[in-house]
Amino acid sequence: MKSRRNVELRLGLLAVGITGLGYVLVQLPEKSDIPADLWFFVTIFVGLYVLAHMAVLQFAPNADPSLLPLAAMLNGIGFVTISRLDPDLARTQVGWMAAGMAAFFGTLVVVRRIRTLERYRYTFLLLGLLALLLPLAPGIGKTINGARLWVGIGPINFQPGEAAKVLLVIFFAAYLVDKRELLSSGSRRLGRLVLPSVKHLGPLLLAWAVSILVMVMQKDLGSSLLFFAVFGAMLYAATERAAYLITALVLFVGGATIAHRLFDHVQDRVTTWLDPWPVAADEGFQVVQSWFAFGTGGFSGTGLGRGNPQLIPNAPTDFVFSAIGEELGLIGAVAVIAAILMFVGSGFRIALEAERPFPKLFAAGLTVIMGVQTFVIIGGVTRVIPLTGVTLPFISYGGSSLVANFVVLGLLLRISDDNARARGLVRRRTSAPTGATPS
Amino acid sequence: MLGAPFGAEISQAALDALKYVFLALLFLFLARVVRVVVLELRSPALAGAPGAAPAPAGKAPKKGARLRIIEPAERKGESYTLTDELTVGRGGGCAVVIPDDQFVSTVHARLYRRGDDLFVEDLGSRNGTFVNGQKIETPTKLRRGDRVQFGETVGEVQR
Repeated sequence: MKSRRNVELRLGLLAVGITGLGYVLVQLPEKSDIPADLWFFVTIFVGLYVLAHMAVLQFAPNADPSLLPLAAMLNGIGFVTISRLDPDLARTQVGWMAAGMAAFFGTLVVVRRIRTLERYRYTFLLLGLLALLLPLAPGIGKTINGARLWVGIGPINFQPGEAAKVLLVIFFAAYLVDKRELLSSGSRRLGRLVLPSVKHLGPLLLAWAVSILVMVMQKDLGSSLLFFAVFGAMLYAATERAAYLITALVLFVGGATIAHRLFDHVQDRVTTWLDPWPVAADEGFQVVQSWFAFGTGGFSGTGLGRGNPQLIPNAPTDFVFSAIGEELGLIGAVAVIAAILMFVGSGFRIALEAERPFPKLFAAGLTVIMGVQTFVIIGGVTRVIPLTGVTLPFISYGGSSLVANFVVLGLLLRISDDNARARGLVRRRTSAPTGATPS
Repeated sequence: MLGAPFGAEISQAALDALKYVFLALLFLFLARVVRVVVLELRSPALAGAPGAAPAPAGKAPKKGARLRIIEPAERKGESYTLTDELTVGRGGGCAVVIPDDQFVSTVHARLYRRGDDLFVEDLGSRNGTFVNGQKIETPTKLRRGDRVQFGETVGEVQR
């Protein structure tokens, strides 16, 4: 419907306007002037947003109107926060935004029907596992900040794990749709539990185990936790059997205990989570600084450009939420969480609207990634759970994650457009202007 | 680039005020998104989805009941008395003319009475007629509070 797209355009331009104001506020306290490059950035943001809007208008005209503006707003808050921490990094981030937009455009153009993805499930499994293993390959694999997650080819460094998330969710959704009857009925009994045969559950467990093992080897705890949660949730969504959820939880507790025994860095994380103060100058420094940031921010924040969020280590990436908490306060932090929750809510709504099982499960899986990732990192920096480094969707600095998030956005809009088309109320390009009855 | 539009130094009070303006705008944005989502939830796309709650069974409309337009916003509030027979369409010959909705067919549907009951029947329109989000295939009985959709125009049966 045309009105959906108009609403989307208006909301998006509002988001760009707020971003522009935020960028001015960041520099105002020091320079008492409007930044010279404000119009440069605003032009780019408006341009990117209009391009995205036109892509949706052309390739997914009936898609949900709330996701794109929410992504733009989150991306804008991220840009403002990063520009406050490091103006050079903010410029690079704008480049990544453009790359993300290209990926978004590409997703809408290439994936015309979500069903097509279902057909190539094993190809995606292979690509996903390959992407996971790539950083371990000698020569191109790189270790940055203690985690071997990176691949460097020439001047470009990226994290293939971000792509692996999406690729493996495609596989899991397609596989589960195929086998869900078998998985939910089961063939063997173990006390009160009905277990499906190894033949059907095997490939799933294998892919799951490999991805988690690989990430443990790469010391990427956040992503292994993420995979665990996402696939547990998808298994539950596909079979509607709580037994899987309980099993996943038991497996998780077991895995976490083993990891805690085996790895020093896991022990460090747990120790600093339980009590960071004795190690406040060493391992606990990040978390303690993050807490100070939230404490300084208080209810309404210090105001943009008036705090000291640059004191938090890794503020543009893992700790971006703490920087927001310091300068925008509890109110701003709540706004960020609300925006992400709305994104997640719209994602689940799209999953509910889908009639066919594959898009339903796929949309649910993509949405769960976003939600769990947000929980893992916000929980980590506020010391609700032990800290594990993942990015805050659309907000954190980082090209790989931003590009992956925009691909997820494109896929959700594609599913949403398919839903509307299946429901009938569709804009028909050729006949709409006349709209005559055939009778 | 504009010189120093706020004077040499901006007072702390002004910066504080701007901080609240920024936060207020963030929530204005969120409120507007919520409004859009609420409209989406009311649209037929979800209302007709499997698992959606069945429409509440209101009472049969009395004589003198009206069809009140609730969407689009420009025509909101217009209402038509539901006589014994009422045609709806883009064409000028209809009792309820919806000229500016490109998804409405020339003669789209009719609303009529049989005894005490009010029915809506789709007249082979291109984009269909929906009652509470469900596309109708046969003449469908209408109750008070039911929402009837032609193209992008939605009306509610009242009183």
